[in-house]
Amino acid sequence: MDLHLTPDQQLLVSTARDFLRRQCPPAVMAESVASERGFSEELWKEISVLGWPGLLVPAEYGGSGGSMIDVALLLEEMGRACFPSPYTQSAVVAATLIATAGSAAQREGHLPALARGDRIGALALAEESASIDDKSITLPGEPGGRVTGRKLFVNDAHVADELIVATRGGSGLNLFLLEARRPGITVLPMEAMAGDRPCEVSFADVVLRGEDTLGAPGRGWEMLRPALQAGALARAAEMVGCAQRILDIAVEHAKGRKQFGRPLGSFQAIQHACADLLRDVETARGQGLRGAYRASRRAQRAPAPGRHQLLRGALAPSLSQAHRGRRPRLRRPVAPSRDRGERHGARLARRTA
Amino acid sequence: MDFEFSPDEQAFAEEIRGFLRAHPPERFPVDGMDAGYGSGAHSRAFLSALAERGWLAMTWPRAFGGQERSLMYTLVLFEELAAVGAPFGPLAGCQQTAEGIIRYGSETLRREVLPRIGRGEVTFWQGFSEPESGSDLLSLKTEAARRGDEYVLRGHKIWSSHAGIADYGLVLARTDASARRHQGLSMFVVDNSSLGLDIRPIRSLTGEVYHHEVFLDEVRVPAAYLLGKEGEGFTQLLRGLDTDRFWGRFYKAPMLRRVLRELVEYANVTERGGALLARDPGVRRRLATLATDVEAVRLLFYRIAWMIREELPTPYETALVKVMADETGQAVAALGMEMLGLYAPLTGESRWAKLGGSIQHLYQTSLGQTIAGGTSEILRSTVATRGLGLPAEARA
Repeated sequence: MDLHLTPDQQLLVSTARDFLRRQCPPAVMAESVASERGFSEELWKEISVLGWPGLLVPAEYGGSGGSMIDVALLLEEMGRACFPSPYTQSAVVAATLIATAGSAAQREGHLPALARGDRIGALALAEESASIDDKSITLPGEPGGRVTGRKLFVNDAHVADELIVATRGGSGLNLFLLEARRPGITVLPMEAMAGDRPCEVSFADVVLRGEDTLGAPGRGWEMLRPALQAGALARAAEMVGCAQRILDIAVEHAKGRKQFGRPLGSFQAIQHACADLLRDVETARGQGLRGAYRASRRAQRAPAPGRHQLLRGALAPSLSQAHRGRRPRLRRPVAPSRDRGERHGARLARRTA
Repeated sequence: MDFEFSPDEQAFAEEIRGFLRAHPPERFPVDGMDAGYGSGAHSRAFLSALAERGWLAMTWPRAFGGQERSLMYTLVLFEELAAVGAPFGPLAGCQQTAEGIIRYGSETLRREVLPRIGRGEVTFWQGFSEPESGSDLLSLKTEAARRGDEYVLRGHKIWSSHAGIADYGLVLARTDASARRHQGLSMFVVDNSSLGLDIRPIRSLTGEVYHHEVFLDEVRVPAAYLLGKEGEGFTQLLRGLDTDRFWGRFYKAPMLRRVLRELVEYANVTERGGALLARDPGVRRRLATLATDVEAVRLLFYRIAWMIREELPTPYETALVKVMADETGQAVAALGMEMLGLYAPLTGESRWAKLGGSIQHLYQTSLGQTIAGGTSEILRSTVATRGLGLPAEARA
């Protein structure tokens, strides 16, 4: 057992923390959330330069072939800053699905743009049943056919360029990778209480071409599993970061705020509440990281790329590449004005494994 | 022993239900947000409709235009209104202020303000907390200095509910700077149109405005608007807070019964993962547990009301019931969020919202309620010391 972060992971964490502290202070965060898109495009471009959207994308597609642990560490920092972005949907869920289930053409056609942050992907899965399991997906659609109906709770669909849509076919669940602007697709916001943007996505007689199919027809649920798991791990890590930030604020308040002539934090009632929060945050972080570790291990054990075998591990191609020592191609130069730490971060984000 | 309301009180409940049928509460225009306590939104139109029935002054002495009904009638009124979600937000503040004026007020206040309360024309805010004086309220610094037949107030109040749309504030200030803590405090009725009063909104979690901060810069208040005598502020405050904890929370139980009923109906018609929510053993158990808790809260409120009517002392009971009411409310809201699942965060503006988006509103507003009006930590200490006789924690 060794619970240390690798030097590269430490660098990723410190780079992300510094960057987000500087570029996404609470006022910027609030302004981004209130904006029409719900996040800052400028900051999205900047994190793209740092290589973050390509963290999980295999090296041969312009990403850095990082592990789920790297993603969890990065998401925790994003959570700490309440950084609003479509990162989990696009860089974790959509990227994982395309990397593991996509054809060579789909991988080559979409992963580099997702890794560069030039395009954003989103998964359209849930429906009115609000249940996320194999049997609850009922929207009918077959390769070569058409789809009419709707998906709900599609986070970030309002800014997505690509939609991955799950439909019910005769042999099971089908997945399709569609351009969000395809005629017949309409996206409407659902109006939620916090900063997230669940959307209603409607399909009116939308064409589903054979080449739009993602993975083997009828095997959609099997293909979704690693991507949903990666998404859940990413969200959990983000929440850990949020919780840690809240704990930090609470403890700072308990130390600084005085009532009855002494700091609030000197009262046992407050001490015990803070101690419980610390327990909650630390246990959640540990569980999340162990989940990420296991996902990474499964990915490592998976055999070399082969479309259907890939389904067993989300990150197999990238890691096997990295283990063979092949250096990823840098698709773009790092911006010249970045300071050293950020350059390292950018390199790391492209290289980690 | 008799746990029922009297026949007259039951007839009054029926009278209220008839009024609500004839005047559906959702048709009244709303001026301020529903803060989630159970008294609904702030509606002046609804307040004056209640006043027209004589229900605002019904417990007052006849000399002041009242009918000298017992407080059980107020209980019945609040319960019936909360059960249908009527917008009677300002009512408890009006009752509390009227009680203060009847008990302590000058002739001027009785003549100029009290009748307007009875007519449902005026609403009130409380100026107690200050930025540095929350749980430690007695450290407050707002000062009132006598100048001729006026007082001049200077200070900074915060967390004043609906101050921006009210007519008067009840402001607690120090009239004797040399006196320690609970001594030298006095209560003033401050007209919102006074010069030097600056009321600024504080946006809440839901995006709406409920709380305000109030800056008092040389605000002149007629001496006749001092409530009672100088130095009586602390006694009035204790009475006021006790009343606030009781009446300001009483309607939470009937409101939560309504919410639970809605959640049960939702569970009865909603499938998740192919099975009815109402068949989920976890959901059933938690609904039943909370229904029991809500009934317990309601019964505790009844018992305290009875004790007040019998003029029995209630040294810790209102603290106990406030903690339980607020924490039960948070638990009901949290269960509702879980049951609604992906639909839970949708606001009333969404066409997809379930139960009108009411659960997320209740959830968000309920979070601050274990802080407002005495934190659960402070009130548990009250229960421990005054209820159980445990020694008080050392304070500096």
